[in-house]
Amino acid sequence: MKPTKFAALFAAVALPLFSPLADAQVSPARLLDAANEPGSWLLYHGKYNGQRHTTLSQITRQNASNLELKWIWQVRSRAGASEKFEATPLVFDGVMYTVSPPNDVIALDPKTGRVFWSYNYTPDQNARVCCGRVNRGLAVHGDTLFMGAIDGHLLAIDRISGQLKWDIKIGDPELGYALTVAPLVIGNKVIVGPAGGEYGIRGFIAAYDVETGAELWRFNTIPGPGEPGFETWQDPEQEAYKLGGGSIWTTGSYDPELNLMYWGVGNPGPDWNGDSRPGDNLYTESVVALNPDTGELAWHYQFTPHDEMDYDATQVPVLVDMEWEGRPRKLLITANRNGLFYVLDRTSGEFLLGKPFVAVNWMDGTFDEKGRPNRVLSPTEDGTLIMPNNQGATNWYPPSYSPVTELFYVPTWLDTYSVYTKRPVEYIPGQTYVGAYPTMAMPALSVRLTNQRLPEEGLGAIQAIDPKTGEIVWRHVMTDVTDSGVLSTATNVVFAGGREGIFYALDAETGEELWRQSLGGQIASGPISFELEGKQYVAVAAGAGLFVFGLRE
Amino acid sequence: MSRHHARRGCMGLVATLLLCASQVFAQEHSYSPADIENGRGLYQANCLGCHGDQGNAVEGADLGSGRFRRVSSDEELANLIRTGIPGTLMIPRPQLSDGQLFALVAFLRTMRTQSAADAQSRDVAIGDARRGEQLFFGSAGCNSCHGVGGGGSRLYPDLAGIGSQRTPVSLENALIAVDAEVREGHRFMQVVDKKGVTTTGLLLNQDTHSIQMMSKDEKLVSFLKSDLDSWLFLPSQMPSYNDVLSAADIADLVAYLISLKAE
Repeated sequence: MKPTKFAALFAAVALPLFSPLADAQVSPARLLDAANEPGSWLLYHGKYNGQRHTTLSQITRQNASNLELKWIWQVRSRAGASEKFEATPLVFDGVMYTVSPPNDVIALDPKTGRVFWSYNYTPDQNARVCCGRVNRGLAVHGDTLFMGAIDGHLLAIDRISGQLKWDIKIGDPELGYALTVAPLVIGNKVIVGPAGGEYGIRGFIAAYDVETGAELWRFNTIPGPGEPGFETWQDPEQEAYKLGGGSIWTTGSYDPELNLMYWGVGNPGPDWNGDSRPGDNLYTESVVALNPDTGELAWHYQFTPHDEMDYDATQVPVLVDMEWEGRPRKLLITANRNGLFYVLDRTSGEFLLGKPFVAVNWMDGTFDEKGRPNRVLSPTEDGTLIMPNNQGATNWYPPSYSPVTELFYVPTWLDTYSVYTKRPVEYIPGQTYVGAYPTMAMPALSVRLTNQRLPEEGLGAIQAIDPKTGEIVWRHVMTDVTDSGVLSTATNVVFAGGREGIFYALDAETGEELWRQSLGGQIASGPISFELEGKQYVAVAAGAGLFVFGLRE
Repeated sequence: MSRHHARRGCMGLVATLLLCASQVFAQEHSYSPADIENGRGLYQANCLGCHGDQGNAVEGADLGSGRFRRVSSDEELANLIRTGIPGTLMIPRPQLSDGQLFALVAFLRTMRTQSAADAQSRDVAIGDARRGEQLFFGSAGCNSCHGVGGGGSRLYPDLAGIGSQRTPVSLENALIAVDAEVREGHRFMQVVDKKGVTTTGLLLNQDTHSIQMMSKDEKLVSFLKSDLDSWLFLPSQMPSYNDVLSAADIADLVAYLISLKAE
């Protein structure tokens, strides 16, 4: 970067709140200081801590009923249902950036919803994605946006002109390597990892130079011979690790003080028959704490050792500083797909709490002294009914933590089950490497136009969990499940929705409904809030549209 | 504008829609009139609905240009028609036989032949490309606005690959008859708000109520027309070199631009 640009950017960072930052580039310092720029949404999670909490305060519990639609932007979706609109938009310097599925980058005017430009990327037709041709969003550094594509490419795009700067291939799409995660920028590095846990990939998290795309380091989420953790792959042939999975598809969080970032790692391969991979299968189903400068592992915690239920640990590790048993601690809280809510010490990785937030029967609710769950069920040849179901109690849908209420808001699939049946499995490159698909009363990925299910076949909810105890404080129940993220505000409003396409404003303390709007298509993205010309807005993607709401004037 | 220039302007418009690169074409197959005619029928049955009778109705896919983003050989073109482009409205057409695909390709290539013939209807002097390059980055100062594979302003087109996209006529027109036509994507607008503040920039988008631009200082800006006193399209931002450079210089620059082939 040229010295002149540095000067411009430091000047911008020094400006007071809410000043027009249009001259600034998005420097690493600006990302670190995102809390002081609440009118923007600079990172996938808003801030590095993963909290998805806004300090904008115009929209309150008292006036939320006055929210009204300001504009809609509709994607030019090409293939319909498999292209869910999952991207969290970024908003800064008077522009909103998002990704139309699968991989078209769009720059929008946040005032009108009109398009400045679009960058249309056609992924390799050999791209394989288990669960939808989706993208969860962008990252920014300087004047460059970064997008992962479903064909395993990582692209850098000029945010003013919409022109491609560079394009690298980080994995072979024909073997199932795909990027659906919103990248994470820290310093001069853009950090991603591939999806593909259903195709026998060997996962990794890697950092690339923001200017050139050159790989700077790589952390193998499936360790190989000579790497710590390899001893947890105990097949006599020492071959299983090569197809071990460990995919990445949810953006990690970052603690600048500890200089550690936290990523959730996906399932081991094959998913539902673990016979070929005896052992705990690190670092699948784990959160890993890595140094972003080197990729070096500081600690890990494994939620589901030797998983056979496809309980990917790709949920957001949310970073909170709070009092724990009488003393302030740096915590990591997360609600896992396996149905348990966890509290860890994020400095050391120490296990502090694990408690079910839905009905769980694969473990008995107890842990050993190191936090290893006491597992009681596994798939069998005759089939085993296991709770929660294969899609999990929650999933990639980003939760929210409010430092005001000190509650954690989690999109939840309530009390679901699957019957898991163990079947032989063979690896054929490029084909799914899973075992037998578990049964599910609840459609995992497809959304039906109508709902005639019994309540006991599964419901959706937004749940408020007290991290200090793991207790459910309130529950907003919906007759269908939810793939929606959550946004909380400093004024005690929680925004979220579900597959029914209804977008809610809830009271953050009680869960009481303050406002709702039907959007006509499922909400499968995280809501955000931003400020423009002194006014607060809330944006959420639903169906094939991006909806922006503000207060009626 | 003189009559002479107006005529050339019209030619320029035709030329921009079409393609030259006749030297590339010479490497391809020859096609029989029967194939071409057969292909015309297949085009009308399969393609016309989206691509239009001029082959230019789909943005970014000007079939008459003879240049295809994803393919270059006839075989690749036929294969693309057969398999379609996943995720787009270009659906697979497995029902077409090899012979039908060849006929379609013949027709598509002929569309270009017509274009190239039209475009070549005026002689263009083509000089020395090396000298043209020196002019481009030197006394003519083209590079103060245009990059070649980077290095220019975001406001003006980067010229990498321009030699594969434009005819010599069109390239010469761009240097000497710049106001003949400003193509979509390169039009500038000037807006004046009610406080009298003027903003000039590259028009990116407009609707009945608003305008989106890249301002001259390379920012993305949006205006509500209700906040504006006036908005108007500006003539080309490209200065005419007709009276600035000699005919020989222009021929050299044209030669340099022709040499900028797509990779």
